[in-house]
Amino acid sequence: MRIVDLLSAEKIALHTPAVADKAAMIDFLVDLQDKGGCLSDKAGYKEAILAREAQTSTAIEMGIAVPHAKSDCVKAPSLAACTLTQGVDYGAMDGQPSDLFFMIAAPMDGDLHLEILSHLMVLLMDPSFTAELRGAADAAAFMAVIDRYETAKFGAPEKPETAQEPAPAAAAKSGPRIVAITACPTGIAHTYMAAEALEKKGKELGIAVKVETQGSGGAKNVLTAEEIANCDGVIIAADKEVELSRFDGKPVLRVPVSEGIHKPEELIHEAPQAPIYHHTGEKTESVTNESFGRKLYKQLMNGVSHMLPFVIGGGILMALAFLLDDPSIDYANFGMNTPVAAWLKSMGNVAFNFMLPILAGFIAMSIADRPGLMVGFAGGAIAVSGATFSSPTGTAVSAGFLGALIAGFAAGYLMLALRKVCDKLPKALEGIKPILIYPVVGLALIGLFMCLINPIVGLINTAIYSGLESMGEGSKIVLGIVLAGMMAIDMGGPFNKAAYVFGTSTLAAVSASEGSDVMAAVMMGGMVPPLAIACATFFFRNRFTNEERKSGIVSFIMGLCFITEGAIPFAAADPLRVLPACIVGSGVAGALSMAFGCALPAPHGGIFVFPVMTNVVGYLIALAVGTAVGTILLGLLKKKKS
Amino acid sequence: MVSAQVKIINPQGMHMRPAQLFVTKMSAFPCDVTIVFKGTAINAKSIMHLMAACMKQGSEIEVQCNGEQEEAALAAAVELIESGLGDC
Repeated sequence: MRIVDLLSAEKIALHTPAVADKAAMIDFLVDLQDKGGCLSDKAGYKEAILAREAQTSTAIEMGIAVPHAKSDCVKAPSLAACTLTQGVDYGAMDGQPSDLFFMIAAPMDGDLHLEILSHLMVLLMDPSFTAELRGAADAAAFMAVIDRYETAKFGAPEKPETAQEPAPAAAAKSGPRIVAITACPTGIAHTYMAAEALEKKGKELGIAVKVETQGSGGAKNVLTAEEIANCDGVIIAADKEVELSRFDGKPVLRVPVSEGIHKPEELIHEAPQAPIYHHTGEKTESVTNESFGRKLYKQLMNGVSHMLPFVIGGGILMALAFLLDDPSIDYANFGMNTPVAAWLKSMGNVAFNFMLPILAGFIAMSIADRPGLMVGFAGGAIAVSGATFSSPTGTAVSAGFLGALIAGFAAGYLMLALRKVCDKLPKALEGIKPILIYPVVGLALIGLFMCLINPIVGLINTAIYSGLESMGEGSKIVLGIVLAGMMAIDMGGPFNKAAYVFGTSTLAAVSASEGSDVMAAVMMGGMVPPLAIACATFFFRNRFTNEERKSGIVSFIMGLCFITEGAIPFAAADPLRVLPACIVGSGVAGALSMAFGCALPAPHGGIFVFPVMTNVVGYLIALAVGTAVGTILLGLLKKKKS
Repeated sequence: MVSAQVKIINPQGMHMRPAQLFVTKMSAFPCDVTIVFKGTAINAKSIMHLMAACMKQGSEIEVQCNGEQEEAALAAAVELIESGLGDC
């Protein structure tokens, strides 16, 4: 807590003409204090001040008085300061009149009170400090003196740009100085980690930061229009599209969500200097200053994040169907034998069937805004059906996940092009563009495009699957190593997602009852890193900080649930040592999973889907060995904490 | 010189009122009164020095008295601090 932060220009009165007596002085100072807006009850505060003065005078020595009160009537700690041209008798022990006043208002909680007093006293003991204060021409000079001495005595301020030029207007505004939105594609872990990092750093820096999290559960801690209007800067730490229209006219800093986790301090400082955001009504035009690759990744992630609930919801219901079904009735029809299982599986299927259209639709929407949604959605559905010109109602060979990706991007960019072309149309047609031209022309275009693409993609897709299927035992193991290792490389980043999407796509290519060995290896790769780290915090305690050791158990639970993100705080803290250990551990586990022929019919679920796995014993062995390898490597690679 | 170890017990620590009280009482003795806290010697007859030290509840301090009536001064200082500096 710095003294200058508690002062502001409107609470400083310099060279005030002579005051009649102590009572008048107190009235004057309480009025001054009240200008800062830190008092909830001015009369109550004055009473507290008077009660304090009644015990003993707060005048110290050398003409200095520090009237103060700790009271419920104070909302936030605050200082007011005043110099008099002629001292007033404030009842000092040395009998000297007082002419330099610092009035403290302290809220009831905390011992900040003592610290403010202590810091103030250290400064006030220096006669040259008080001399400079008494000579200060104006409030800015007065605060500059305090800042200079405070910096000399207690070290540099943590936020020089605001401390050296205290802007009275800014100090008087209430509410958060920096507002932020965090969002990640899955909305489970990164979103909240970034929010926590920003808020924590804000507290350290003494800058009020409010973070809205746009996670999978919807937006939490939502920013109000007033907070946005009053803030100095906006941080958008997101790997998916965030609605920005409400930040029109504010400095908006847009970064990946990982920077929110790793560089909160830089972001908080940079946000007020960020370019002013002007909302144009077109999301694509607001996405500027980003590399093409990063744009593609964000668009892809927009699709993946919207698809994920379908995959998880459908996948878990289907997994439950297997769990509750009795395979002995009819193994070929496993999952549909009992009425309960059949119902669960059918409901799961409903969600699964939307998976690829949703993926394509939201990729297209991320590129071309709302006109892209229908076109992308239809494109995804055409990809699923595998329709061609010769058989427009669909073929047996679906273009699958690859086709849906192509459909999504194609739909998006087709619609962008269509909009460009439509700009040449007369203004009178403006109104019918979104309700007639875009949907009709868009649908026809994507239909033509997909019927051209489908045969080719169908061939490629089939080739990959048959290639995977025809791989011998050895290359299957290589595939397991590669996929599981990919899961651990960036834990939620593009490598992880690529492996994961590939894994989920293989679920469609195998019959549900036997499950996919690829999916099993992929899930293995995602479960090992958090588990290995959790075990390492237990077995190699001295390699971790106290905080890390405490979060080990959470990491363990997240690992069991196949939420790889649990490993991120550890990996972020020490990437060069943690990541290799995780990758090797995951790779070993993936290879073993493949070698044991483990297979998984559900795309998510961790231990909850173990009952429906093929060769769960082998899987557990693979998981244990991979985790052990990762744990030992972590112990070997990580350095001891002093 | 005589000295004694004492612990600050009043919840708000050495804030202004206790400091004033302490200085008032100590000024009655002609000897020098010094408090050593966190390795720093503090003039215990100065309100500002006492408050500047930021002694909180639970802080261990050493009171040193040197000069005339040092025994009496030390006894008074210890009693004052251990009684909660008038706060409780």
